[in-house]
Amino acid sequence: MKQVEEKEEASVYQRVVLKNASPYHYLKVRLVLEDESTRLSAVELKYFIITGLKSLYGEVGAAVNFDVLKYDEDTLTALLRVYSRSLVKLWSSLTLLGSYQNKACAFRVLQVSRLDPRSSLIIRIFSEVSPFLLALTGNSRDLHLD
Amino acid sequence: MVRLKSRYLLCEVNVSDRSQLLLLDDRAIMVAVKAAVARTHGDYGAAMCSIRFCVKYLNAHTGIVFLRFPKRCYKLLWSALPFITSIETRGQKIPCFLNCLHVGVKLRVCTKAQYKGNTNYLQPKTNKQLKKHEV
Repeated sequence: MKQVEEKEEASVYQRVVLKNASPYHYLKVRLVLEDESTRLSAVELKYFIITGLKSLYGEVGAAVNFDVLKYDEDTLTALLRVYSRSLVKLWSSLTLLGSYQNKACAFRVLQVSRLDPRSSLIIRIFSEVSPFLLALTGNSRDLHLD
Repeated sequence: MVRLKSRYLLCEVNVSDRSQLLLLDDRAIMVAVKAAVARTHGDYGAAMCSIRFCVKYLNAHTGIVFLRFPKRCYKLLWSALPFITSIETRGQKIPCFLNCLHVGVKLRVCTKAQYKGNTNYLQPKTNKQLKKHEV
């Protein structure tokens, strides 16, 4: 009960509903390889994802438009952007991608969101924090409940 | 009551050399359609094709073929048919393309459409029909 009172004092709770705010979905993924010393360039990563899409969804799947917005070669973490209509196809093909050059690998999806995680500017404009945008700063997948 | 719903596609196989039509086999067409679906839609399409897909009827003289697809994915599998460029039978590759003429819910409706189409849609098969077209 105390926590609720504090919330009411601190900020005016405002519910903002944005329907179809963005035609894109953003995926933050990390490639985990059996052999941790191998490195991929951004182009190789994109080609690898396209081969996964092609094996599962064929030529139509390989034509799915997605972009690698950010890529960190050391941690093999990438930020992908895809049209919302093709999110299911991309995500399912990432799940089923099992081997890179005959070595076992896995894609770990760290974050998925509708709004661009790079746009921290939006968070600063609103004085109260809306629950929709808060999802981007925090990562519920890393949340550990004791 | 739970019903298994399907869609029947009435297709025509167009070949440049009419004598090659007689070599057609329903198994060959099945293989060609499955290969085209696997190429165009990948493992997902190939899996959808494996359930309740079959060649119901084939007439080698006119080149008419009935394909049966499940109702929930017939549009996706239909979209792969234009990618068929050849059918392989008895060691020969016959270059052809599939023309879809009618989509029916029941096989009976498809057969009716076939009889109707014998005069309108299809190319003239015999000399008699050719003369009729000319006139």
